[in-house]
Amino acid sequence: MSITAIKGRAFGDRVLLALVILLSIVMIAPVLWVIGLSLKENAELMANPNSVFHAPYTLRNYVNTVGTSSVFLWVGNSIIVSGGLTLGTLILSSLAGYGFARLNFPGRDVLFVIVLFGLAVPEQAVLVARHQIFSILKFHNTYPGLILPGLSASFGVFLMTQYFKAIPKELDEAAMLDNASRFRIFWKVLLPLTVPAQATLGIFTFLGAWNDYLWPLISATNKEMYTLTVGMASTQTNFAQSEGIGFLMAQAVFAGAPILIVYLFFQKYIVTAVSGAAVR
Amino acid sequence: MTADIEIRNVSKQFGAMSVLEDLSLSIKAREFVVFLGPSGCGKSTLLRMIAGLETVDSGEIAINDQRIDHLPPGKRGIAMVFQSYALYPHMTVRDNMAFGLQNIGISRQIIDARINEASRILEMPHLLDRKPGQLSGGQRQRVAIGRAIVKEPKAFLFDEPLSNLDAALRTRTRIELAQLHQRLQSTMIFVTHDQVEAMTLADRIVVMNNRKIEQIGSPMEIYDRPATKFVAGFVGAPAMNFVDATLDRSGGNTKVKFAGGISVQTEIASNLLADSNYTFGIRSEDVRVVPAGHGDADGVVDVLERLGERTLIYARLGDGLQIVGSDVGNSSVTVGHKVGLAFDGKKSHLFSEAGRAWHAGEA
Repeated sequence: MSITAIKGRAFGDRVLLALVILLSIVMIAPVLWVIGLSLKENAELMANPNSVFHAPYTLRNYVNTVGTSSVFLWVGNSIIVSGGLTLGTLILSSLAGYGFARLNFPGRDVLFVIVLFGLAVPEQAVLVARHQIFSILKFHNTYPGLILPGLSASFGVFLMTQYFKAIPKELDEAAMLDNASRFRIFWKVLLPLTVPAQATLGIFTFLGAWNDYLWPLISATNKEMYTLTVGMASTQTNFAQSEGIGFLMAQAVFAGAPILIVYLFFQKYIVTAVSGAAVR
Repeated sequence: MTADIEIRNVSKQFGAMSVLEDLSLSIKAREFVVFLGPSGCGKSTLLRMIAGLETVDSGEIAINDQRIDHLPPGKRGIAMVFQSYALYPHMTVRDNMAFGLQNIGISRQIIDARINEASRILEMPHLLDRKPGQLSGGQRQRVAIGRAIVKEPKAFLFDEPLSNLDAALRTRTRIELAQLHQRLQSTMIFVTHDQVEAMTLADRIVVMNNRKIEQIGSPMEIYDRPATKFVAGFVGAPAMNFVDATLDRSGGNTKVKFAGGISVQTEIASNLLADSNYTFGIRSEDVRVVPAGHGDADGVVDVLERLGERTLIYARLGDGLQIVGSDVGNSSVTVGHKVGLAFDGKKSHLFSEAGRAWHAGEA
């Protein structure tokens, strides 16, 4: 490579770096804005929102949040709902994916197509019917009521089926010759190999459930059963919102923390998932 | 532990397509048998049927006189080494080897002892805590063999296990496999389409083609006395020379005549043959290159292949027919040269249209 070419490349790299930094600032600015607002007195913010750029800063909003807000209850509900939904989706999708990829049974292909049709049905289309069914079953304002609808995860079944299909059948055969039962082959040989797909599916499911607003808004009418999204929205509708912006932002920081932790633990898989490289 | 394996009248179909037809074979204990044949001949399917990875449509398979074709793969007491090795990628080498033993409830102590012994035999104790992804192709191959050894199976099955290795490693692993067989004294069945592997490893070769067994015999039987034209052409490199011929059966031994007025005196008794169409066959090493005018036929050299210890001469006869002959390693012949070809009638073969074969010197 000639020196000119190297210089040209170095310049290109610098432009790219500048662009990445700029985009990062754009992405991180709202988060910093939220944190900044949460560290200011409500009264000061009401007088001048730009006061966020200078001292004094306070932790009073966080103290108030810990003391008076229901945000921890909502975070707890969201963790139970998102965690339960994620766990359930992973279990069901893995079992179904293994079944579709490895078992021969009558009607398998037709059933798989039916499952895929689920991808094409928008949630809004079934909302009323689901609401009625859950009313009859008295599922509203319960954790199962919030978790069960999300378990019909067509995407998860599809993803896991494709992933299981990509695992060489020789591994099953080697395990069969090693006298392993079908369940042991699934559990000890194949399932550990699907961890990247499980992580992808788990992250998407968790984030989707965490951010879901529509169904919890309909199903959880009791304040005790609010998830974070519904709870935060209920705070915003308060007439005193403009006066309590710092308090609201402190709640938002608490609300965002769990998802940030999830991200920190799984960022490798999130990047893989988003780039689409998880499916071999 | 070792085993006789008996295959009786086995057939197999995939949908409407027949892949094995009424095939029978006896394999003796401690024997190294190689299934040799071109792609799609059914050799791997037969191996997988012995392993239990394919069902048997009709016929039966027995190990030590006990039918096993109804048993699941893990209950047959056999171990298999796959072409792709099929190591469990998320387990260490030690866990790969232990998995099969854990499944049959063998104690940790015995498992450790067997793993240590196998890794010592295969010279891989330093690899035990690595995962397959951290190993080279040759090392993976060893682990796959080690995984089979620790099970102390009645028979070892190898499904083209050397085809993913480079040429040098393939040769080395081939020798190691032969040594392993001598050491373990187990029944081994090895599937390959590589005739060199078959010739070097086998006590007996089973040559398969088109759903059937063409010939079963020792490597030299197969090479010297091929039962069919297919076997003669498939085993040996370069392939045997074949020429359509007419016979002169007036003497005690048959004289073969082919196009261009060339005739070769064979040592195949005339009374064994009928008046029919035959193909004359002779291996390249039995066609000596001599000065033009001094052999059975003259030809012009098309191509030279220098193999070191000998030189293969591809010579084109007057009627366009190409014959491969053999000369010394430092042959002075060059492309375009006119050379004579001397056919050794004592090593010649004749093949009938019906598929039968006659060999020089046969009574």
